[in-house]
Amino acid sequence: MRKSNLDFSRINAEKIFNNRFFILLTVLSLLVFLILARLYYLQVINFKYFDTLSETNRIKYVQSSPRRGIIFDRNNVVLADNSSLYAAQINIKESTDIQKIIEDIDKEISLSKIEIENFYEKKNKYAHLNNIIIKNNLTDEEIAKILSIRHKHDGLDVTASLLRRYPYKEITSHVVGSVGHIDKRDLLNLDKKKYINTQYIGKTGIEKFYEDILYGVPGYRHVEINAKGRELRDIEKKSALPGEDIYLTIDINLQQYMYSLLSGYTGSSIAMNPKNGEIVGIISSPAIDPNIKLWKYEVDQDEINKLDSPYFNRTVNGLYPPGSTIKPIVALSGLYHKVINSLDEYYAGPFFQLPNRSRKFRDWKLDGHGMVDVKKAIIQSSDVYFYMVANKLGIDKLSSFYRYFSFGSLTGIDFPNESQGILPSAEWKSKNIGNKWTDGDTLITGIGQGYFLTTPLQLVYAACIIANKGIISIPKLNINSKPKKNDEILKIENFLKNNISSEDWNLINDAMFKVVNQKNGTAYWSTNSKKNNIAGKTGTVQVYQISQNDDRKDDKEIPDHLKDHSLYIGYAPSDKPEIVVATVIENIGSGSKYAAPISNKIINYYLDNIRNNFE
Amino acid sequence: MNRNNSIVITDLLLFIFIVILSLVGLAVLYSATNQNLDIVSRQSYRLLFCFILMLSICFIDINKLKIYTPYIYIVTILLLFFTVFWGHDSKGATRWLNLFGFSFQVSEILKIILPMTLSWYLSISDDKEIDIKKLLFSLIIIFLPILFILKQPDLGTSLIILICGLITLFLSGLKTKHISFIVISLLTIAPLFWKYLLLPYQKQRILTLINPGSDPLGSGYHIIQSKIAVGSGGFFGKGFLNGTQSQLEFLPERGTDFIFAVFAEEFGFLGIIILLFLYSLIIFSFILITLRAKSYFAKILSGSITSIFILLIVTNILMAIGILPVVGVTLPLLSLGGSSLLSIFFAFGIMFSISRSRRS
Repeated sequence: MRKSNLDFSRINAEKIFNNRFFILLTVLSLLVFLILARLYYLQVINFKYFDTLSETNRIKYVQSSPRRGIIFDRNNVVLADNSSLYAAQINIKESTDIQKIIEDIDKEISLSKIEIENFYEKKNKYAHLNNIIIKNNLTDEEIAKILSIRHKHDGLDVTASLLRRYPYKEITSHVVGSVGHIDKRDLLNLDKKKYINTQYIGKTGIEKFYEDILYGVPGYRHVEINAKGRELRDIEKKSALPGEDIYLTIDINLQQYMYSLLSGYTGSSIAMNPKNGEIVGIISSPAIDPNIKLWKYEVDQDEINKLDSPYFNRTVNGLYPPGSTIKPIVALSGLYHKVINSLDEYYAGPFFQLPNRSRKFRDWKLDGHGMVDVKKAIIQSSDVYFYMVANKLGIDKLSSFYRYFSFGSLTGIDFPNESQGILPSAEWKSKNIGNKWTDGDTLITGIGQGYFLTTPLQLVYAACIIANKGIISIPKLNINSKPKKNDEILKIENFLKNNISSEDWNLINDAMFKVVNQKNGTAYWSTNSKKNNIAGKTGTVQVYQISQNDDRKDDKEIPDHLKDHSLYIGYAPSDKPEIVVATVIENIGSGSKYAAPISNKIINYYLDNIRNNFE
Repeated sequence: MNRNNSIVITDLLLFIFIVILSLVGLAVLYSATNQNLDIVSRQSYRLLFCFILMLSICFIDINKLKIYTPYIYIVTILLLFFTVFWGHDSKGATRWLNLFGFSFQVSEILKIILPMTLSWYLSISDDKEIDIKKLLFSLIIIFLPILFILKQPDLGTSLIILICGLITLFLSGLKTKHISFIVISLLTIAPLFWKYLLLPYQKQRILTLINPGSDPLGSGYHIIQSKIAVGSGGFFGKGFLNGTQSQLEFLPERGTDFIFAVFAEEFGFLGIIILLFLYSLIIFSFILITLRAKSYFAKILSGSITSIFILLIVTNILMAIGILPVVGVTLPLLSLGGSSLLSIFFAFGIMFSISRSRRS
């Protein structure tokens, strides 16, 4: 009885279920018919309407690029600013027949073949751009002509843009750098959204390093446009935030002076204030006017890295053996490790030989320097003396001492693509050359030759430490940047200040003073004016190896590219330094003949003409 | 014997329909993501996983599944609990739970688990009539997870899940007076809801539905662009990969919520008819399975799944053509996303299991 009741309940429930299921399916199918009806309405009846809408569907997003920050020198002289520029541009996404547009423009203002070619090349190269410029720098008449045919073509327009100008041309070209067209390489690490409507980006120098600050924040508009692509009204708008201006530590007068001294040479020179690391002048020669480059063609990244190119920045990327300019540091190391002391004299003959070896390591002076102490060895730049010191120190001590002066590492300047050079060590050689380190390697490393490679910036950094007697200044170009010394630098600074005695620092200082101010100093003849108490050290770097028994050839017989590099580091006044300079002139001859006079002129000019303006 | 054969054949056909629609889904996704093979291949892996899941569930006896049901429910509630407190955010709502390195939206699976639990609860007692006590307990089963989802906050999904639960109650023979009671109380709550619980953006979505032109760049943007996409598709569509609305990225959320608009733009009215025909083949198989289901549990569950499957398709399309507000319902088998795919294939597995149980 009970069971049949339950059966009844179940059968009843199933009946209800079937009933309800049917109701539900009916309701849902009605919804499906509603959908079909609606779709028929949208897609069939109103197709034309929506088709037009989709064709002309533009609530356009227009970005306005911000005004790029201006770059000044330390005295508010403009080094880079923006000038208005009117250009005819074509929106390649909106225009239907680009060829026809170009023909029409040509009729009005006659385009050159190069301009047309450039347009198509850019169109292929910069796929992310909507607008591509067909003719730049329009005159008022040309603007009027373009505007008169604008209504005939979708996407043709005249735009005002800001063009970067560099009033000091090649004089500041390496340090300020320049902007250039955004290319594929830039796109890899770029916030594309920020640069939609921007053509230029900092490519080199300060323009590159401070791109984020200089660029600003783009503004935007949501614009409603009609079927022909004409803007009807702004729906939403936010104006661009201009980029920040940057003030460099450079003094343009000194910079101009330095440029005049270096032009004609291949080389570079850096002047730095040792008290705060401010670079007051920095020149790499040859250089090229960046204003031309912006117009005519673009620089390939590879071009920048080519050694003989005017785009190659020797101050941070040129790599040279430091040569004899390293000797004060070797002397310091020898004194610190007590392998020499300030009083001992040593016979520095024409050559040095390792025990039981036949090879002669020659001095630059044919008959040597005779009996020398450490001071005299620096003043006269005795190679043999420093072969001896290096030999006693061994490469490990020598190499780790060099490291304190930034060799083999970055100086931390606010500048892009700094090279770190090569600091040779036993480990470095086995890793990079594959051979075992030899005692002979140690000797030539002790006179700054061999595998040892430094940048002029590293030289000025090291010279600054010597001038400051152990206090490190991190070089900087933006006057408002406050470079922080990291733990490593602080550790080194503590070591140099506390572990090296002030007698040793004074000895080196005195020796370098006498290099310039004592008659037998290697740089004595490099300056007539002795009143600024310049201290310095010359360096002459052999580009080719003289075979050891050969006598030195006459300078005139050597082809240019094998001539010696001329190096010099100097600072003044020697007791309370205010300026440090490092100069490298390539393939020209000895340090005392070229780099030293140039550097000392820079130092004197700075102390006589510039310094006073600071106060 | 003959009957068994025909069941095997219909199951096999159903399986083939599912495979075809999945492939269609991948193709549309390829277009919707601007030919992003990376996304498409990831979706393929998810599909493969879901097919394996479906086949394994299909071999579990439906009566066993019934016994597991309450435990599955409890686990789901726990996962929801974790989502609220340890889930991660997306667009302002905490909806995702990280599970063994996979991001998972627990609320999606509830669309199936909740009807399953109700079917279990309403079929355990011998008496199938729903008295007031059963009704109250059913409502607790429904609202417990919904409270968690409201907390996330995800109003759209809460509503969909509520409807899923009510469908099962309705199919199980909920009394007419109770139905009217529920409808009346929902209608009374609605204005209060509008006033106190809806967030401004949710209100905006509903308002713009009435007049999308009022805010063409804000919340009306989706609806306008989607309608343009669908309408400009015309009868034959613009062709695969040729939809300007979708390819030029006018259309938002192309891979997920608005994938139907991408399909409609590229394949037109004709394509939609074919798509709906493919869906209806699956639905007819489901209806057959439901009508032939043996146990009461299997019947209510399969009936619920069939109705919910249709409901999801209908809701998503109504959203894309601007009739319903944007509530975040995916289009089964076409939309990008793992969680919705998983719950759909979980449901497919159950349907196959029910279908198998009819064979002798």
